[in-house]
Amino acid sequence: MNLAIILAVTVLMAAASFFITRINKKAGGFTTVLSSLFALAALFFLRGSIGEDFAIFYFTFSITTVGWYFSLVMVMAYSMTSFFNPYWMEKMMYPGSYNFMYLLSMAGTIGMFFAKDFITLFVFWETVVWSSTFIIQLGKSRKASYVYYVISAIGSMATLFAIMLAYSVSGTFVISEAFAGLSGGMAIAVFFTFILSGLAKIGIFPFHVWLPEAHGSAPHTFSPVLSGGLVKMGAFIAFLSVTAFPAYEIFGDMFKVFGAPLPIYFLMALGAISIIVGTLMAIKQEDAKRLLAYSSVANGGYILIGILMLDQVGFAGGMMHLINHAVASAAAFLAIAAVAYRTGTTKMSEMGGMIHRMPVTYLVYLIAIISMAGIPPMGGFVSKWLIFQGLADKGMIFLAAAAFFGSIGSFMYVFRPLSAVFLGQTFTRDLKKKEVGFFMMFPMLILTGLSLLTGVFPNIFLRVITEIQTSIGLIPVTLAENTIVTANGFLDAFRVFIVFGFGFAIAFVIFIVRRKSTKVELMDTYTSAEFIHTRELLHYSSKFYAPFERMYGNAPDTMTLYKKISVKIRELGGLAESLFYSHKPEKTVFWMMAVGIIVILIGGVV
Amino acid sequence: MTVMNFVYGFLVLLGVFIFQTTLTGLNRKVTARLQKRYGARWYQQFLDIFKALRKDSTSHGWVFDFGVIMALGGIMATVIFIPISGFQAFPGLDNVFVISYLLAVGMLGMAMSAAGSGNPWASIGVARALTNMLAYDIPLMIVIFAMIFAYDSASLSEIAAMQQGMGILGWNAIRMPLGGIVAVIALLGMLGKKPFDSFIAPAEIASGPMVEYGGKHLGFMFILHEFMTFIEVALILNLFFGGGATIWEYMLKYAILYTFANIISGVMPRFKIDQAVRYFYRVPLAMAIVQGLVVILTGLGVTIWF
Repeated sequence: MNLAIILAVTVLMAAASFFITRINKKAGGFTTVLSSLFALAALFFLRGSIGEDFAIFYFTFSITTVGWYFSLVMVMAYSMTSFFNPYWMEKMMYPGSYNFMYLLSMAGTIGMFFAKDFITLFVFWETVVWSSTFIIQLGKSRKASYVYYVISAIGSMATLFAIMLAYSVSGTFVISEAFAGLSGGMAIAVFFTFILSGLAKIGIFPFHVWLPEAHGSAPHTFSPVLSGGLVKMGAFIAFLSVTAFPAYEIFGDMFKVFGAPLPIYFLMALGAISIIVGTLMAIKQEDAKRLLAYSSVANGGYILIGILMLDQVGFAGGMMHLINHAVASAAAFLAIAAVAYRTGTTKMSEMGGMIHRMPVTYLVYLIAIISMAGIPPMGGFVSKWLIFQGLADKGMIFLAAAAFFGSIGSFMYVFRPLSAVFLGQTFTRDLKKKEVGFFMMFPMLILTGLSLLTGVFPNIFLRVITEIQTSIGLIPVTLAENTIVTANGFLDAFRVFIVFGFGFAIAFVIFIVRRKSTKVELMDTYTSAEFIHTRELLHYSSKFYAPFERMYGNAPDTMTLYKKISVKIRELGGLAESLFYSHKPEKTVFWMMAVGIIVILIGGVV
Repeated sequence: MTVMNFVYGFLVLLGVFIFQTTLTGLNRKVTARLQKRYGARWYQQFLDIFKALRKDSTSHGWVFDFGVIMALGGIMATVIFIPISGFQAFPGLDNVFVISYLLAVGMLGMAMSAAGSGNPWASIGVARALTNMLAYDIPLMIVIFAMIFAYDSASLSEIAAMQQGMGILGWNAIRMPLGGIVAVIALLGMLGKKPFDSFIAPAEIASGPMVEYGGKHLGFMFILHEFMTFIEVALILNLFFGGGATIWEYMLKYAILYTFANIISGVMPRFKIDQAVRYFYRVPLAMAIVQGLVVILTGLGVTIWF
């Protein structure tokens, strides 16, 4: 299957879905399901044509393993989430535009990952940014899309600037050659401006502010795509900035911190800060979607650190965390969306005990968070294990401390929605709620299966990553049949899973042979001789980690800082306005002349 | 992976259960003597467990049961991976990260089951237990991280074997004195011993996560507690005190380490949970980072040693 056909079909289907939605809303939703599943299948079979180059109009493409891997992860997030679309059409304000933008942004991501030159990459990148901006607007708040767009624009413009800067030296836009011949201060300038859009997209501190806003208030059907898919575009830019821009070679003779050149270590440190900030902020959120958004910030830090290590083990971990987080995060967001579909809210304090109404959704969320927190036997563990091994190999102690903090901290925050939304007392209002239908359950179950598959047979996925490593000239991570071998030891995920099953079986047998227990009502609990008859009062969900939150609750928030800066800029603008636009024309003329004279004077001096 | 591996695994579980439960019983006596009581008989802990397993129990829904099974299953799987004086039922799977994260499966199961009981006390207890974990784990993991870097191995049995043959001077607790202190303090936190026991605090939050358990569920929790204690003490024993060349040496060192932790616990008051976090993030964290930097940058204690 040709990539050109995939792109053309997706764009055409995007346009078609707009008109189909006009006729029948549900049918429009199903169009997105079919088109994204088609794209997924077609991309999967694109593997045979890796290495081919071709052009459509001015756009040039090259089919690479890394592009194939990234686009497959991305389209998986799109196609799985699309199953929810038909059910949300009634609640959407502009369903036609939503479907159109949904498919258009998907086409943009596919084109971006296979771009051969930077102009193609930039055009498709902006397609994604624009179309997703309009989707986020359809959600809870318009402000969220402003924040998203501003941060994205800062990144995009910086990257465009870097591309132009590199062009002025090398004279070409082709990705593999564009950065040739850079050195010294120019190289540093290009490196940092180029990776800026990646940092902004992946949600690295201090650009992480858009994630909670956008993920938190985007339509429920788009948050899984945002978190599971679109932030991974940033990882692609990070990948390019250490491979296409050979950062380790160009900065090779610079001061090295634990084996990494200073500019790269600086970015890794930003990744570590994102892990800590993301974890701490996630712990104190009261909205499930905002909480998961901050967890994406933390996981973005892991991916960035992994990819920037560019070595045998850590890099493989970073690349694998990409798919693990995409799967787990999409599943968790979908589970929350399913709950919101029934209850109409994502606030954790307004729900409880949904496990008794929606057991399958609960299991989906449970598996997703086990993977997200990096606990065996799920995929997240394997990738975090690889990242830890990579860090231990180099002795990067501070990054490792942040990684451990994020890992243990994730137990805390992922448990919150589990406990507040699914466990505990069922609210009276929700006692009659039902599980979602099979069509919505289906993608969640697929993602759950993928989480397990990546955890039990990680080598299926790591083999693709070894191909990527070989293609960029790294020593690939060593794989035996079921085992991953590193310098510090090996991991046999399959055997770990079997032994876990063995332990579980013993426990199950002991449980079964003992006398059957009597089932009692949830309200029938020990309450220190208080008589509580209101279910809602017997549910502990808000301010879950109050003593811990109190320790850093007063710390300054990044968003507040940005707001203060924006107020100052507005005041400055107000000053200029008051000078030039007053009721007195002579004042305006005076200042215009004054500015003109100053400009001429400075020009004369220079 | 043959049937024998599973048989060995089962035998390890049985042996560990008998050994640790006996030790817990003896330590109840030690605590009693500290408090000038006579104390229960040494086999009282066995009686408690089997009595609980025999009694009727109440269940608060399927997750309440499922969580208990998942907890015990995960913890038992972790016990099987722990090397006991060089012996492993499944050789080669004793990676530090695997053990410390597989332990989390059991903890998650327990937390899930407790929160599934619908009792707010249980949720408060779980919240505190997770906070406590965040407190003690970071300093400990930093020290272990430096150790993995220095020895080029993350295998518990290999790290233990490398410390043997030099007597007490080979122990990591002596080679890395600051790290050793951090490890013992972290052990108190892991075991939930005083002063870090605010998550079970019987008089304050009605035993926290344990509040709704009775009958066989409570019996499961008792067994789980014995296994968890074993994992935690054995982890520190293998990493910092050289494991044991023979099974007897291993058991003796283990008993001393566990009793030591218990004696400290016997004379301590209780930290509030935020005090525990503050404490761990001041002294032990600083010590861990200093120790880690010394090991990673200079090799003092590992490559530079007698």
